Amino acid sequence: MRAIAIVVGGFLISRAIFAADQAPAAGNSKLTAMLAAKDANGKPIITPEEQAYFSGLNDNLRALLDDLVQKEVITRPEHLATLLGLQLRPQKMEVLLQNRCVLCHTDPESQSAENLFSVGTTSRQSAVHMNLKEVIEDVHFRRGLSCAGCHGGDPTADFGHGFVKEWPEKDRQKNRAWVVEFCARCHSDPKMMHDFNPSLPTDQLAKFKDSPHGRTLLDKHDDRAPSCVSCHGVHGIRPAKDPQSKVYAQRVPETCGACHADAKTMAGFTRADGSPMPITQLAEFRESVHGRALLVRGDLGAPACNTCHGNHAASPPSVAQVSRSCSLCHSANASLFDGSKHKQAFDQHRWPECGQCHSNHAIAKTHDSMLATGPGQLCGDCHREYARDHPDCIKTADYFHDTITQLDQARTRFIAVSERFAGRGLDVEPINNQLTELGDALKKSRTYVHSFSRNTFQQVAAPGEEAVKQTDALIKKAGEEFKFRQIGLVMSISFIGLLMLAMYLKLRQMEK
Amino acid sequence: MNERAEAAPATSRRHFLDLLLGASFLGWLISIAYPIIRYLKPLPQTGPTGPAHLTRDETSKLEQNKFVIVPVSGQRVLVLQAGDQLHAFSAKCTHEGCTVTFLPGQSVIWCPCHDGRFDLNGRVLSGPPPRPLTQYLAQRQTDGAIVISEEKAQG
Amino acid sequence: MQSSFLKKKPKVNGAEESQGVRGWLDRRYQLTPLVEFLRHKEVPIGSHWMGWYYLGGITMFFFVVQVVTGVLLLMYYQPGEATAYESIRFLTTKVPFGWLIRSIHSWSAHLMIISLTLHMFSTMMLKAYRPPREMTWVSGYMLFLLTLGFGFSGYLLPWNKLAYFATTVGTNIVKSVPLLGDWLLQVLRGGQDVTINTLYRFFAAHVVILPLGFVGIIALHLLLIQRQGMAPPVGATIAPRGMKFFPSFALRDALLWLACLMALATLAVFLPYGPGIPGMDWELGEKADPLAPAYPGIKPEWYFLWEYQLLKEFPPHLFGLEGPQVCLLLIGVLFGIWAIIPWLDRRAYHDKPSPAFSDFGWAAILFLTYLTLMGWDIGARGISDELAAMHNVARVCASWTLVVGALVIVVRYWKFGGRWFILSGAALLQVALHGLAGVSYLLSGVIAVAVAAIAIAISYMTNSRTDAGDAK
Repeated sequence: MRAIAIVVGGFLISRAIFAADQAPAAGNSKLTAMLAAKDANGKPIITPEEQAYFSGLNDNLRALLDDLVQKEVITRPEHLATLLGLQLRPQKMEVLLQNRCVLCHTDPESQSAENLFSVGTTSRQSAVHMNLKEVIEDVHFRRGLSCAGCHGGDPTADFGHGFVKEWPEKDRQKNRAWVVEFCARCHSDPKMMHDFNPSLPTDQLAKFKDSPHGRTLLDKHDDRAPSCVSCHGVHGIRPAKDPQSKVYAQRVPETCGACHADAKTMAGFTRADGSPMPITQLAEFRESVHGRALLVRGDLGAPACNTCHGNHAASPPSVAQVSRSCSLCHSANASLFDGSKHKQAFDQHRWPECGQCHSNHAIAKTHDSMLATGPGQLCGDCHREYARDHPDCIKTADYFHDTITQLDQARTRFIAVSERFAGRGLDVEPINNQLTELGDALKKSRTYVHSFSRNTFQQVAAPGEEAVKQTDALIKKAGEEFKFRQIGLVMSISFIGLLMLAMYLKLRQMEK
Repeated sequence: MNERAEAAPATSRRHFLDLLLGASFLGWLISIAYPIIRYLKPLPQTGPTGPAHLTRDETSKLEQNKFVIVPVSGQRVLVLQAGDQLHAFSAKCTHEGCTVTFLPGQSVIWCPCHDGRFDLNGRVLSGPPPRPLTQYLAQRQTDGAIVISEEKAQG
Repeated sequence: MQSSFLKKKPKVNGAEESQGVRGWLDRRYQLTPLVEFLRHKEVPIGSHWMGWYYLGGITMFFFVVQVVTGVLLLMYYQPGEATAYESIRFLTTKVPFGWLIRSIHSWSAHLMIISLTLHMFSTMMLKAYRPPREMTWVSGYMLFLLTLGFGFSGYLLPWNKLAYFATTVGTNIVKSVPLLGDWLLQVLRGGQDVTINTLYRFFAAHVVILPLGFVGIIALHLLLIQRQGMAPPVGATIAPRGMKFFPSFALRDALLWLACLMALATLAVFLPYGPGIPGMDWELGEKADPLAPAYPGIKPEWYFLWEYQLLKEFPPHLFGLEGPQVCLLLIGVLFGIWAIIPWLDRRAYHDKPSPAFSDFGWAAILFLTYLTLMGWDIGARGISDELAAMHNVARVCASWTLVVGALVIVVRYWKFGGRWFILSGAALLQVALHGLAGVSYLLSGVIAVAVAAIAIAISYMTNSRTDAGDAK
């Protein structure tokens, strides 16, 4: 009797524990019902993909969803469908499900159209900041921040709507100067930033305040000036390394160009010398070597606007700063130039060293003809105007031009010959090795032009000329080899021919 | 059969023809044998196929400058000596293709065109190069010869 | 008793006992009957052109060249991942006359296949396969297949990009063999994919297995020819005395071989990498890289182009089987028919002119020509849209083939009095339907075969079975 009681009791207890474990089962029915709901035409409201997504969720997320359904935060299957249809990854889903702001603002029953998040892929619609997918991908949409971090309130409360006191009550859309202070609440606070991303710098506001952008916005109160959100966006702020970020290297030119290439926006702004601000930089950059490298070839080592101008402290470089920017990558040319006669001369004229010959935005592919001294050519024109009492300098330019052109022409010629010889079956590897040397010497020569000194230039041009000599010798040797083959062929053909003749005569003789 | 009267010139003609036949046959044989014999004689330097052996000149350059650039299967390869370790990399910079050089004092492979720098594993240290340098296998053999071959993944 | 060998032979003028080396050999090996046989061996001459008889010898000459140059190449070639490509590069650039040996080897391979094809079709047209020479035909056919094997295996050995992808495409076909497909593929490739193991196997095949087989079968082939003499063509008037094989025919043979040698040398010097036609181009190029994407415009060697093109014409599924399987089946059937021609051709069997089979030969030639031309993508230049390019290729190649076919028919009609054109006509019909009318290749083939069958049936019913004119 006792044994039976113990057994039955044990069984009932384990069942109860088991049932408690399954407690959500009781609540499951509401959620299950919603999942199985059908619309007026009998079609299920929750599509099979959304069902599959739901089944793939971990227990925690499913429990969260069930909880929301229980608490009647989610009341309609259409709302549930919207949320499941986002197909979010688990950590984002978790943040979303614990965020009443988003949950409410995705429910058409609770919100008017202008306060409703739209769902869909990123598109350049005007209310892009109301695109839920953009919001989800924002770096701020994470635990501890999300909506309340900027908008204030309590995301766990039912209808919390406390707005941040730093936001001005009126004129929030005009007079945007408050934006930078608002973002800087966190972003200039090292302790705050340490909690969320220790490796981010915190000096953006300080830099901005001291820049033309900052002074225009904060001192001159001109709303055309950019604030943080102008470049970084409002809701879909992504890290700069993310290709979809507005400040990703390849998108920086178009982000800057949104204002700087627009006549209306730039109207009235002037440069330091009083001339109107140009709006041609973006177009010039796009056509330049740097623009093509960055935007067409996808070379992320190429500079975008911020590489030379800075981003938060963006400002036009001073005359001296130009060459220092260029020398970040073009160090060889810079060091050669610094030791050259041109440095003194350019500094006297207060010319921007690199930019004087190569331009700043419209940097075109260099051409050997720039060294030429004829009318309309770079070196010649400048020297005839500014360096009339140094006639030997033009001769140096001529020397550079002639040497480089000779090397270049020789190289083109040799490449054609090498291909022809290769087609004839000759060994062109030694020739190609010399051609590599020649190509290297040519590249170096074009760099060493920046020393504007014959001696220095000779250091790298001489190996090139040597390579030309060697290649000439090798080509001659290859030509001789081919002649040898032809002669060998003629000789063996004559032997064969003679033998054939002898055999033919013998044949005739034998058959007589 | 020729008549006796014609026998003498006929046999001399036949004799000449036989001579011609024999001589031309010999000439033909020689024109075939000569290339074959020259082909069969091995070249002075050993082991010509596959991996490249450093020549004497190249080996002495390596000892002097701590690096040398050699052609391997039509590609230029940088062979360098750091301490007593031999390394070999493609000498073609991954940025714009300039030939790199080795700075023994700084243990750095340097591309003079845009100041790109690579470490002794070929990885990019600084500058614009986007990818590391391809590695080659450099082996010092028992007889002191240095052999460079392409490093291939197993498979 | 003293051995007859050791007894000193008296020198007797005009005696049966021969002196010198010949005598020495004869006394030991009884060569006299052999020598007599060879002395009396004749080649039939008459109203037919002697030229066709030389083709077999020329093919053999090219093979001998292959063996000699092949052995020489073996001295420097090293199969292996790091050495195959490099050794050939070294061979052609640094080794004295290495370029010559390699170039001759490559040229001779292609020329051998050309002369072999001519030899095969000429013996077919001349009905040399009729009794008693059926096995000569069969052994020759086996030599043909072995030669294709030589070409395919040798192609991979340089281990360059072109060879690597051509071999991948070529060995892929084997997958479609029912039941054995996967096993065959793995055995052929030494694995699932083409790797260096494939090279090792192909090397073994190319250098040992195929040569052994080839030498064995060619010994048989030559033995049969020696025993039975060369076949006179059917219906030709044969002169009572033929041309003596030694020295007349043999010297002419040798003259032709020397001319071929001359051609080889000239080609090797001026066109060391081939005539530059796709599928006939052996520039070393770049080393094979299994990780690199496929070579654009990859094509097999020209003598495989027709198979390659034919495979492309089949849909993915047909009659419940996979397209390539049906194609292989068709090719197998065609090859099988070709092998047993001596037994199919009943008229030639009885030494009667057999115009139907000549026509069959011409149909085969036109069939192969059309496919090969299309395989070369002739007519595709400048057209970017793939479908439009395909249609244009079919159209241009069809035009060429029809012109050639019409020429063949005209020449056969006038010069050779041929009257049997049903099969070659059917082949041209297929060409016209596919190339000019845009009908699918298979459907045109079915239509052509049906038309031919009907025409043959009609001709059998209306004509009495008399010898219809001269054969050709």
